[in-house]
Amino acid sequence: MTLAELPAAIEARGIRRIYAARPTPVVALDGIDLDVPAGEFFGLLGPNGAGKTTLIKILTTLLGPSEGWARVFGFDVVRQAKQIRRIMNMVAGGEQSGYGILTVREQLWMFSQFYGLPGRDGWRRVDELIELVGLEEQRNQRVSTLSTGQRQKLNVARGLLNDPWILFLDEPTLGLDVSAARALRALVVEWQRAVPGRTILLTTHYMAEADELCDRIAIVDRGRILAIGSPAELRRLVRRESIFRLEVDHLDGGPAVLAGLPGVVTATAAARDDGTAMPGADADQRVAVNLVLADDAALAGVVGALGQLGSRILALRKAEPTLEDVFVELVGRGFDEEAVDHPPDEVEPAPAVPPSAHGPGAPEAREVAR
Amino acid sequence: MSTLSGSRWGAAGPSTLDPERVRGGGLGDALRAYLAAVRLGWATEANWTDPFLFFIYSVAKPVSAALILVVMVEIVGGEAGRAFRGYVVTGSALWSFVIAGISGLAWSVLDDRERYRMLRYLYVSPASFALLLVGRGTARLTVGAMGALITLAVGVVVLGLPLDPGRVDWPLLGVAMVGGLVAIVVIGILMAAVCLQTRQDSWSYPEAVAGSLFLVSGAVFPLAVLPQAVQLVGLATPLTWWLAGVRLALFPDGPSVVGGEGSAWALLSGSTAPTSVDIALALLTTGALATLAAAAVFRWSEHRARERGLIDQTSGS
Repeated sequence: MTLAELPAAIEARGIRRIYAARPTPVVALDGIDLDVPAGEFFGLLGPNGAGKTTLIKILTTLLGPSEGWARVFGFDVVRQAKQIRRIMNMVAGGEQSGYGILTVREQLWMFSQFYGLPGRDGWRRVDELIELVGLEEQRNQRVSTLSTGQRQKLNVARGLLNDPWILFLDEPTLGLDVSAARALRALVVEWQRAVPGRTILLTTHYMAEADELCDRIAIVDRGRILAIGSPAELRRLVRRESIFRLEVDHLDGGPAVLAGLPGVVTATAAARDDGTAMPGADADQRVAVNLVLADDAALAGVVGALGQLGSRILALRKAEPTLEDVFVELVGRGFDEEAVDHPPDEVEPAPAVPPSAHGPGAPEAREVAR
Repeated sequence: MSTLSGSRWGAAGPSTLDPERVRGGGLGDALRAYLAAVRLGWATEANWTDPFLFFIYSVAKPVSAALILVVMVEIVGGEAGRAFRGYVVTGSALWSFVIAGISGLAWSVLDDRERYRMLRYLYVSPASFALLLVGRGTARLTVGAMGALITLAVGVVVLGLPLDPGRVDWPLLGVAMVGGLVAIVVIGILMAAVCLQTRQDSWSYPEAVAGSLFLVSGAVFPLAVLPQAVQLVGLATPLTWWLAGVRLALFPDGPSVVGGEGSAWALLSGSTAPTSVDIALALLTTGALATLAAAAVFRWSEHRARERGLIDQTSGS
């Protein structure tokens, strides 16, 4: 089947998911619309509790939607779950799942049988995947003796057993060390690129991971998609303002003295490039400042003011906005800051972005122009 | 890491997505999945110790339970109790089979969800969920069967039960064992459906249900000693007819499970004891009804579990 003949890997319209909970029900998804073409590496980026895992559960037929519908490669997640299960697989991170009493090989072979691989093909496929994920030395080791990283490799191998058309990765690098996470990312990218049409839906709250891997990203918060686009497109959302990083030999009065200058939106202290606190108690009085300017022209005023203050500029560079900046812009809080809980019947839309930027009202999901 | 070149078993080759995958492999796939689940069940059931210790553990429990019951009945009943020796040993032996079968299926839900946290991966595989559970429970059923056989052998060798292979009604025994096995699996499926809705503290439910059925299905005493209403419940249970069939097949001269003067069976049928044909028909009928009920309840339970997000919900979540 060629790429052009394939239906969309994911289509979802108006997905709502409400969990019955006491004292009040919890709205986990609140009207999700999503289109992911076949062959895309798509990311759902959001903080814990944003609804990412709930959406994956619905798409993998583990959970029913309360409202709305979704299709995976044209198959309805409620009525055609069997067909979906034949062409998809899922891998979740940060968990200690597995039949500890089985060996790595036995566990993978067992799942190969659940996916209908004939016995000999099953063993061949298992050995191929063991090699692929780098578990050769552990192949006859019991699952209970594996480290967290090795278990996750096993989990990934299980996820690839049926050579799925679409692979759902739910926080796959959670709890992994840097090198294991890097290896896993390289593996899934390689796997996806090997065959046109293979699709990956990744949920993560690691900005850099989403930025590195995904063709497109949906930023999710409180069960809603706030924006969709490529990482570059999303970053352009916050490029209305110019962000500079400035380091001076000293700054009497600190960054606050710059905050009141014309065109300066914010001026806040930043860590120095060498990572030390600033200014130090020693003779080193260097100060690093994050400057957000209304536009580049405001920089002239800042430079002039620094000259009048007797500060010498040691370094000045324009900073690219990160996905975290995009998230803060859209949501009004940082990734690590807890959302304020609202009773479900009073669930408000996420904090509105400035009207000047997005127009009045709630933050509708925005498809960013390519 | 090496490169994965793509599908190694798809008809379409390694460079494209294989449309055949959507169709599945029918009966062959189902059989493969069932056998793998059996193997998994056996591994999780028996691999925790060495085979000898496992054998002792699996056999000691039913044998000792049967011997305790025999001693109790004979102390209380004297000579009359001795006449029930075959009845008690058979019932006790077969009941270990029932407990193993019912709890095996139900516990596989709890084990896979709570302990191994793999239930969700089993559930989203293309294999039939019910079939995987039956496969997982088969190992425990096998262990139960082994215990039942050895208990019967101990009864014959040690207690001198009058088992004459020449007088055994083999066709009835065959029908009763097949029907009984189906009935046990069906009740196990029902309990699995219940456990799907509950959390970790439901480990004891299957044994509680098996214990209730123990009272009403004539496992260690004939139904005739129970109140009429309870006897009717017993007559509606396929396990009662299974026990009646096995007992009649093995010990044709022994006491009847369901019959007797003034029993509900006698009032309903006009005969003091059911014949082999009566037992076979009753077993088939009650077994078929139980199967239909279990299929409906399991389907409902699976649907509800999916709607409520219970498939992967653990005690800690």
